[in-house]
Amino acid sequence: MSSPNKLIKALFTLVLLSAFLLQACGAQPPTPQATQPVTPTETPAQPEYPAPTTPPQEPTPAAVGRRGVLRVATQPLVQVDPAMISSDPEVFAANHIYDYLVDVTPENTIAPRLAKSWTVSEDGLTYVFQLEEGVTFHDGSPLTAKDVVWTFNRLRNPDSGYPTADLYANIESIEATGDLEVTFKLKQSNPFFLFDLSDNHALILKENTQDATKFNGTGPFKVVEYSPEDRLILEANENYFVEGQPKLEGVEILFFADQTAMVDALRGGQVDLVMALSTDLYSSLKGESGITLLDAPTNQFDVVRLRSDRAPGKDPRVMQALKLGLDREAIYQLVMAGFGRIGRDSPIGPMYTTYYSEETPLPARDIEAAKKLLAEAGYPDGLKLDLHTPDTGDRPELAVVLKNQWADIGVDINVIVEPESVYYGDQGWLEVDLGITGWGSRPYPQFYLDVMLKCNAKWNESHFCDQEFDRLATIAGTTLDEAERIAAYKEIQKLLIERGPIIVPYFYTQLAAIRSTFQGFVLKSFSGRSDLRPVALVE
Amino acid sequence: MGFEAELRHSGGSVEGDRPSTLATSSHPVTGWRKASYFLRALLAKPASALGFIIFTLFLLLALFGPLIAPYGVNEQIAADAGQPPSAKHWFGTDNLGRDVFSRVVLGAREILGLAGLGTAIAVFFGTTIGLATGYLGGWFDEILMRIFDGLLAMPLLLLALLLLGTLGPSKNSVLLVIIIVYTPIVSRVVRSAVLSVRQRGFIEAARLRGEHMPYILFREILPSVLPALAVEAALRFSYAIFLVASLGFLGVGVQPPSPDWGLMVREARNNVNQIPWAMYYPAAAIALIVIGVNLLADGIKRVLLESQ
Repeated sequence: MSSPNKLIKALFTLVLLSAFLLQACGAQPPTPQATQPVTPTETPAQPEYPAPTTPPQEPTPAAVGRRGVLRVATQPLVQVDPAMISSDPEVFAANHIYDYLVDVTPENTIAPRLAKSWTVSEDGLTYVFQLEEGVTFHDGSPLTAKDVVWTFNRLRNPDSGYPTADLYANIESIEATGDLEVTFKLKQSNPFFLFDLSDNHALILKENTQDATKFNGTGPFKVVEYSPEDRLILEANENYFVEGQPKLEGVEILFFADQTAMVDALRGGQVDLVMALSTDLYSSLKGESGITLLDAPTNQFDVVRLRSDRAPGKDPRVMQALKLGLDREAIYQLVMAGFGRIGRDSPIGPMYTTYYSEETPLPARDIEAAKKLLAEAGYPDGLKLDLHTPDTGDRPELAVVLKNQWADIGVDINVIVEPESVYYGDQGWLEVDLGITGWGSRPYPQFYLDVMLKCNAKWNESHFCDQEFDRLATIAGTTLDEAERIAAYKEIQKLLIERGPIIVPYFYTQLAAIRSTFQGFVLKSFSGRSDLRPVALVE
Repeated sequence: MGFEAELRHSGGSVEGDRPSTLATSSHPVTGWRKASYFLRALLAKPASALGFIIFTLFLLLALFGPLIAPYGVNEQIAADAGQPPSAKHWFGTDNLGRDVFSRVVLGAREILGLAGLGTAIAVFFGTTIGLATGYLGGWFDEILMRIFDGLLAMPLLLLALLLLGTLGPSKNSVLLVIIIVYTPIVSRVVRSAVLSVRQRGFIEAARLRGEHMPYILFREILPSVLPALAVEAALRFSYAIFLVASLGFLGVGVQPPSPDWGLMVREARNNVNQIPWAMYYPAAAIALIVIGVNLLADGIKRVLLESQ
């Protein structure tokens, strides 16, 4: 019971506590330049593949030009059936095991993949695709038109419960009009149909595939080993139909629970590629030798929306007041730290260079005008609102900044941060009045209008219903005249600034880092669709 | 030794073999003297003195925080976002441009208030239930204690997470969780202390005098279990601080933009590479106050033991 004992106990407690806190926070040791960084507990054991530095084995004819194994750190896969995948790593893995009929380039244009060419009828209702010759699945069987027909019939089956059933509801029929010819007939013209065919789920499977864990694709890499929550080992498909691709011998997708651990592993030389980085981790890699930083503009955004079918959002002046209460530049600097782009309250972002318009000015911050609008709407003493937000990404921070800025116009925000499973669970996000929802990047903007803002849209979270908007969105989504579509999109952006129920404060930038010994990697807006086929190891 | 003698004389009541009379003094002067003796005995050991100083410091922050903090709790200075500690911002600023020093200072009231109120209510209920079950015994005791056994069989944090999952995260839910989680623990401690004095002479005497039950419970039994209770309450308080911080860190407790220290650590950990100070100071505050309260609780226990 002597006092030195007590002090030692206290010191010991302090050390234990700090250790606990530091560990719980995934903090790193303060010496990042240590030669042998501590392997995080989540890290799988050292890969057994030959390290990239190993001198190449005696070249066999098939392996000529193919060398090196690229190790990618991602979150674990949850779904492996292409019809059910959704997260970046799931799509990334599938994109290298299977092939799409047509592909989307990093510039968001359509490129051939399994279909080498196609024709579209004058009325835009009939699409005829010619498939590549001599393509085989990993089990050795040839690719035929029947496989494509089976794949899309599976995806569009309304009883399947697959998320693509709505997307493909516009397809009238799909037929194999030859051994290597497929004909799609549409009910209504759809200028974005080729993009729809390249939907993340639309990977071509062998006819009558029952077990998705067999991974029987036509893609550039074959599955050697899949151990869930640990790793997915891929080797080059020697019979891949594209001449000279893939250039790598293999790909290892190593699963990590935590992004800080992924970046530690990149620094320590245990992985070569990390995508979907947070701005903080990306910045921390600046100046690191041997690592190339990559970025790509996206149309990923957070939307702050107010239900417009009941009080207080029923009166559009309330949303106008909330918009007037925003200091958009401050939000962008605080939440995005200078990455990405400032948004204009419409899902049509600057990535869509032909459709994006800055013609209608965004109203600047005006506290008095906002208070006046609130008073006119029947809230002279301000109002109290719950703001629901998922606990992921930068959304909780956005909520805190909004609370601060709206306090100035007399709107008292009560922030409620929920896990995604709670926010999206039981369709709760479609019920709440005021919420922040994250939307992923799409290669074309029509998707957002159709599922988020049209009167009967499936995920119309703001319960918005505006006849003029619906008319414009329908024109944009069906016309085959590009000029008419551009005009409609411009009108829509004006309408949303004037009376839309949503605030789009910013668009994200996609960030990634790759070891500089690998070349030819192009990061895409949706990182999961990034393509390793042209990537090569250079010494 | 001397302290105990002083207590006996100043208390003035000499019925039965009652061991301590802390609760029965009525004269203000003797109350003060008792407190000063207690304090002197407490400060005699450096560890307890350190605990006392740390606790007092945080108590002062909690009481006068708004006078000390140079910036508002939610004041965002966009131009100063992510600044390292400097003369302008002693603990630096976080990624949203909020002054970390101000938030740590203002967070003291948040966490001490919540943990203090929660502990006080839990101690009140726990004491009442503990006294009643210990004294009455029988089926009443049996049923309540088996229910508490069930509650205590679950890991504490898990129980708290379950409750918060049902209640939804908010300040009131955290308060309720502290009460629900700590009432059984306090009541068991009190109950066992009651069991050890129940059969003693002065209780028998009171019963024979025909005193009604509340009098026996609160005037006869309570003073004798007070030392055990005081130590338990101080310990519970330190655990409650830790619980509030843990729940804040897990994101299920107090909601942003509250300056709860656990929540501040959670918010800062995304940017720990760039802005580590936003995490270190609230984390250090949690560690420091938990240590301080623990040392203080140890001290209180020592003084009370010595005085018996």
